[in-house]
Amino acid sequence: MMRGRTLRVLAPLAALVIVAVVPLVVTDRFLLKIFTFAGINALVVTGLALLFGYAGQVSLGHAAFVGLGAYTCAFCTVRLEWPWLLAFVVSGALAAVGGLVLALPSLRLKGHYLAMATLGFGLLMTLAFVEAEPITGGVDGFGGIPFPALGPIEIREASSLYWLVWAIVGIALVAAFNVTSMRPGRAMRALHGSELGAQACGVDIVGVKVRTFVVSALLAGLAGALYASVVGFVSPSVFTLTASIAFLAMAVLGGTGSLAGPLAAAVLLTLIQYLDALIPGIPRATAQTLQSYQEDIYGLAIVLVVVFAPGGLASMWRRRARGGQAS
Amino acid sequence: MTLLQVRNVTKRFGGLTAVDDVSFDVFEGTIKALIGPNGAGKSTLFNALTGFDRPDHGSVLFDGAELVGRRPRDTVRAGVARTFQNTQLFDEMTAGENVMVGRQAHQSRGFATAMLRLPVAIAEDREARDEAGRLLRLIGIEEWLDTPAADLPAGIRRLVEIARALATKPRLLLLDEPAAGLNTTETRELVQTLFRVRDTGITVGIVEHDMGLVMDVSDEIVVLDRGRKIAEGPPRMIQKDPAVIAAYLGEEADEDA
Repeated sequence: MMRGRTLRVLAPLAALVIVAVVPLVVTDRFLLKIFTFAGINALVVTGLALLFGYAGQVSLGHAAFVGLGAYTCAFCTVRLEWPWLLAFVVSGALAAVGGLVLALPSLRLKGHYLAMATLGFGLLMTLAFVEAEPITGGVDGFGGIPFPALGPIEIREASSLYWLVWAIVGIALVAAFNVTSMRPGRAMRALHGSELGAQACGVDIVGVKVRTFVVSALLAGLAGALYASVVGFVSPSVFTLTASIAFLAMAVLGGTGSLAGPLAAAVLLTLIQYLDALIPGIPRATAQTLQSYQEDIYGLAIVLVVVFAPGGLASMWRRRARGGQAS
Repeated sequence: MTLLQVRNVTKRFGGLTAVDDVSFDVFEGTIKALIGPNGAGKSTLFNALTGFDRPDHGSVLFDGAELVGRRPRDTVRAGVARTFQNTQLFDEMTAGENVMVGRQAHQSRGFATAMLRLPVAIAEDREARDEAGRLLRLIGIEEWLDTPAADLPAGIRRLVEIARALATKPRLLLLDEPAAGLNTTETRELVQTLFRVRDTGITVGIVEHDMGLVMDVSDEIVVLDRGRKIAEGPPRMIQKDPAVIAAYLGEEADEDA
């Protein structure tokens, strides 16, 4: 019991230290960028962890919210010349509004209408990013997006960008942890466990689902804004159904009822894409094969988890912890 | 005093009239049972009383206020709590957390205050935790507080669900077959719990198949058969009622055939 509690305090602290010192150890700018992307994906997946892992709702279109955030940030900073922080906040807000407009009608209906609606929304938005050329730059994309800036301080160093992204991930994780450990989190887990039971307890089940979806869309929008600012260029090919499924794969692999599991899965599945950069000795052909089978790896991850370990990574280490206590 | 007035409630599913023009009263501080052969419409009536199903006709007055047309959430807030024939616990949550969810109806703090861990949200959390501990003690199952619901024995699951319903601070507690799947010891404990609940001033409505239990606990019984009320009165009268005996004998004859 005592060991479990100590571990629960020490593990996040250790993770914090490791994440914080990465730029001091890793000097390669490309590697740092990969770890920065891992943070951006972790931000999206934290939102999906709330939506899927706690509230039990599936989204097949979260890349669209990431795209919405990315294009909003690009448009606001480049065309409107707004300060970055304002553009960043507006990007999240707009994605949240998009989430609300999508979730409100589809969650009032019973069944898998949310999954269907998000799938349709994702496909539609991919098309919109291409077709709304005056705003998005169409297939050619949207370039010249400035680096993030906090007031007069521009953040352009690879290490600073890394820290900025992971600091925001940290804030999001603390906020998400607070939500899950208090009243709204209990409502989310309750409706996942039994909607009838939750209703009998007076839980506003539609309200909780809609709010959770909006929060997850908000985090995706913020992640999109970070992506646009870190890369400096956005194109519609990034925010596709494949990306949505990758995010979902991370959340599913990470497991239900956990934030640490999806975080670990987001980092892991992001790094797999860049194996050749991470492990210098790896033969080029092997790396290329892995990369070309990337989508299959995501699909396989979902299938394996659903069949063999429905609770994902999180439940695997929870089970180990419980077994350890018993012995 | 009459706490619940059920008036001419009718519920049809397609061509089948599941509940047919049923009326009865429940007096405050009593235990009222609803019995009848399988398919008599007991659970349908329960759903109609708690907002899970809307009756086609009739009215349900709770302390003078109309319940028909309200959502389950508003029914709970008005003071009517229920349990289910198949226990609807949250399996991944502990017994204590399950009961804490029962406080949701009367709490109001949402995402924003929780995210920031504001004192008001922390206070609500503590209130819910204290209440869960108190209720599990009241029912005598406090040793299961930290056990995940999935790992609880059937009898304890029933009692946790009752504790969770009590956490909504009801004036009327409706139990749908609370003794189903329980052994005799567990049933005896359930009876004690029901008396303890009634002694705290909560009115109890119970749908049950276990006749021994019904005769032991209830002050009054309503008997349904094929959707219609065929008898109402104290247990001794019901036991001798020819219409009731016929309904139950008829069922047994059907089962033998």
